[in-house]
Amino acid sequence: MSSREDILGRVRAHLGRTESNATSGRAALDAYLKARPQGPRPRIGGDLVARFRAKSELLSSTVEDVATANEVPQAVARYLTAHRLSSQAVCWPGLAALPWGQAGMEVAARPATGSDLIGITGCFCALAETGTLMLCSSPDTPAAMSLLPETHIAIVPARRILAGMEDAWNLARAELGEVPRAVNFISGPSRTGDIEQTIVLGAHGPYRVHIVIVGGEG
Amino acid sequence: MRVGLFVTCLVDMMRPRIGFAALKLLEAAGCEVVVPTGQTCCGQPAYNSGDRESARALAIKLLEEFESCEYVVAPSGSCAGMIRTHYADLAGESEALARRMAALSSRTYELTDFLVNVAKFDKVPGDYQGSITYHDSCSGLRELGVKTQPRALLAQMPGVALHEMEGAEECCGFGGAFSVKFGELSAAIAEKKCDCIRATGSDAIVGGDLGCLLNIEGKLRRMGDDETQVLHVAEVLAGDAKGAR
Amino acid sequence: MHFKARAGQKLADVLLQENLGKAKSKFVGMRAKAIVEVDDFEATREAGKVLRNRALDDLDLWLEQFEQQATRRGANVLWARDGTEICRLVIDIARRHGVKKVTKSKSMLSEEAGLNLALEAAGIQPVETDLGEYILQINDNEPPSHIIAPVFHKSKEEVSALFARTHQRPALTDIQALTREAREVLRPHFLSADMGISGGNFLVAETGSVALVTNEGNGRMVTTLPKVHVVITGVEKVIPTLEDLATLMRLLPRSATGQSISNYFSLLTGVKKPEESDGPEHLYFILVDNGRADMVGGEFAEMLRCIRCGACMNHCPVYQTVGGHAYGWVYPGPMGSILTPLFTGLENAIDLPQAATLCNQCGVVCPVKIPLPDLLRRLREKQMERRLRPLKEILALKIWAWVARHPGLYALGTRIAVRYLKWLAHDGVRNDRIRILGMATEWTRGRDFPAPEGRTFRELYAARKGQA
Repeated sequence: MSSREDILGRVRAHLGRTESNATSGRAALDAYLKARPQGPRPRIGGDLVARFRAKSELLSSTVEDVATANEVPQAVARYLTAHRLSSQAVCWPGLAALPWGQAGMEVAARPATGSDLIGITGCFCALAETGTLMLCSSPDTPAAMSLLPETHIAIVPARRILAGMEDAWNLARAELGEVPRAVNFISGPSRTGDIEQTIVLGAHGPYRVHIVIVGGEG
Repeated sequence: MRVGLFVTCLVDMMRPRIGFAALKLLEAAGCEVVVPTGQTCCGQPAYNSGDRESARALAIKLLEEFESCEYVVAPSGSCAGMIRTHYADLAGESEALARRMAALSSRTYELTDFLVNVAKFDKVPGDYQGSITYHDSCSGLRELGVKTQPRALLAQMPGVALHEMEGAEECCGFGGAFSVKFGELSAAIAEKKCDCIRATGSDAIVGGDLGCLLNIEGKLRRMGDDETQVLHVAEVLAGDAKGAR
Repeated sequence: MHFKARAGQKLADVLLQENLGKAKSKFVGMRAKAIVEVDDFEATREAGKVLRNRALDDLDLWLEQFEQQATRRGANVLWARDGTEICRLVIDIARRHGVKKVTKSKSMLSEEAGLNLALEAAGIQPVETDLGEYILQINDNEPPSHIIAPVFHKSKEEVSALFARTHQRPALTDIQALTREAREVLRPHFLSADMGISGGNFLVAETGSVALVTNEGNGRMVTTLPKVHVVITGVEKVIPTLEDLATLMRLLPRSATGQSISNYFSLLTGVKKPEESDGPEHLYFILVDNGRADMVGGEFAEMLRCIRCGACMNHCPVYQTVGGHAYGWVYPGPMGSILTPLFTGLENAIDLPQAATLCNQCGVVCPVKIPLPDLLRRLREKQMERRLRPLKEILALKIWAWVARHPGLYALGTRIAVRYLKWLAHDGVRNDRIRILGMATEWTRGRDFPAPEGRTFRELYAARKGQA
């Protein structure tokens, strides 16, 4: 008997599985998958952008606002200069057309490698509840861009800031059909508290996350 | 109100004065108090040790002794908790027994809970003068929700200054048989509780469960503290304890 | 060695006691702050319990759904009965893909299986990348002492000395600097590993995905960079939908570390398409039994709801006093005291169900409302039934219960006992306590035994009534 049959067989036996309750069980399962009820959610009312901004800062991300996408490169360049960071970066292909050169930056649209220091991404959406970015992988939005470099710059359109995770799942179902290979929810710079429960930023992922909100009212 | 007083085996053997204090308080609250004389043990030591058979036998005995009372009151969160939350589990197959157990459970109260929420007692006779800190026993707090009741009663005594300790709701390490199966560990947990007690600088530590109090008193004395009084809340409320020595 | 003996050692370990004292307040305090944000945390706990039960009540059907979806998206779903099979499957996969080095992010199941040692024996290099697990690995594969914070028991000085020795670098005392050093040491491994092994916090049946809750970024490194990714997790981890996942994500990080959400929360589904630049080409799920299947539908089924947050041990007075290593196996604290006997045999963990005060500090914080003290009590009942307790103890209980059912005998016995104890308390100096009580040395080694008043309530009450 295969391990699969052995394990499932014992589970079925312990549950008193019969053909008839398997049929009704599967019907209930399908109904539940279709209904997908949400659990209790905290009230997230009011200005989602303001809440997202506040929560992100609590997580040690830095946040700034610009009115249009074309203003992003200047904002990013200012941030990098202020923190004495390199002005050489890699970005997702969809962001390559922004005026980086005019802002004095050298930005290459290619996958990140272990030695790239600054990675620039957009996001699929963002969650106001916890100050979280949601990035979905695809050939044009590779996951490693927000992981390998020491600094992660995330461009967040204000209209893509949603209340909570349930809203993000619904948006993904609507726009992508099915979930991509990797959905990464990112809430600030990487951190660890393993040594004496003392939080240190910059464990294996980025040391810092800088968020540029586009088109909010901030 | 016809109240059956279940003094508990620990009070019976170690501190009868707590039983008399409870009696006094219930009578002052206007209750007719009966003390079924055949009462012994609620069965908790057996239950918690996994001996269901013995626990069930003792539960049935207690049921028969107290069934005719309108209320059952015990000066112990542990025993009241046993009767109130676990007797139903011991009824077993018999539906009739289960119904009787459920009825008994719903009429069983820890002393301070009864005084505040049922008897609505507001003439606490105690006259303790001094500072106290209160230990919330695990069963009283987490099984029965006893927290504000003793404090409300103590607040009726102007001479009492209550200083809450850090970790008042944390276990003192007694745990019944645990204290004699894992004595070293139990004493280590008790030491932390005693440190919190002493940090308040109170004259007395007060609580609603004698098991906890004996554990705490034993540890305080072994730590060299002969000053801090260890008192059951019934003693303080009844006026049996006067104040710091 | 039993828990009791180990606990004794831990009580005497001054450095450990100091570390435990520091750690306790952090987790407990932070959780208390974090749950306030959820509006109705109690309703969320109830929802967590309900959704976990939904999957467990039809576990076979939900597992089949998961398997179907995961396979559709290009994963291989394998099943392992026990630790030996886990190791065999992992080594097979490694050999099939010519794997020389494996990076690992946290997997408690790989601890159950002793996987690292098996990999080394097979000539494959495992590298733990979770900072705490890495520290343990370089310390001669020391076992973790907490399921979330593996080196809960270590001070930074100990870590500093360990790094200095292993990395051959000067000892650093700053925690931030130590973390940087670990990052620098581990980064080349991330970039050169052929295979990544992770655990799985949850398996989502709706989409055939694994959900990973991490903070450091190592989980993402391990599951994004190598060409092979292996997920090892227990069969009880399956949950129905993405919505259920969102509910659990309000409970888990808050209960574990007091965070509103873990730094990284990843949902991984299937393998990379040829046009993608990162992600594994091969994805394997190893769904593990190792004692779980036989808990389904039984007396201890509620324990299967566990989402491995660690809140129970953080709030346990026993764990807080002795730490995790005293428990002797992979899982410590209240959940460990229940799982260890169930997974390894009741006769192999005699002390664990007994080593609790049943205070329920654990149960009130469990995010999925597992009645932990009730399960511990039920294990004690099993021990009684199988006569796994000392005869002395069984007899003492039976005798006490018998005497307590005979009030006349009880009254007489207690009158004698309290007079004897009161007499013992007279030592010439004081008369209110007993220092050494022969029949209860467990008590009196660490505490005095307060003297009884010397008369029973029963006899005094009878006397008063007689007078009245």
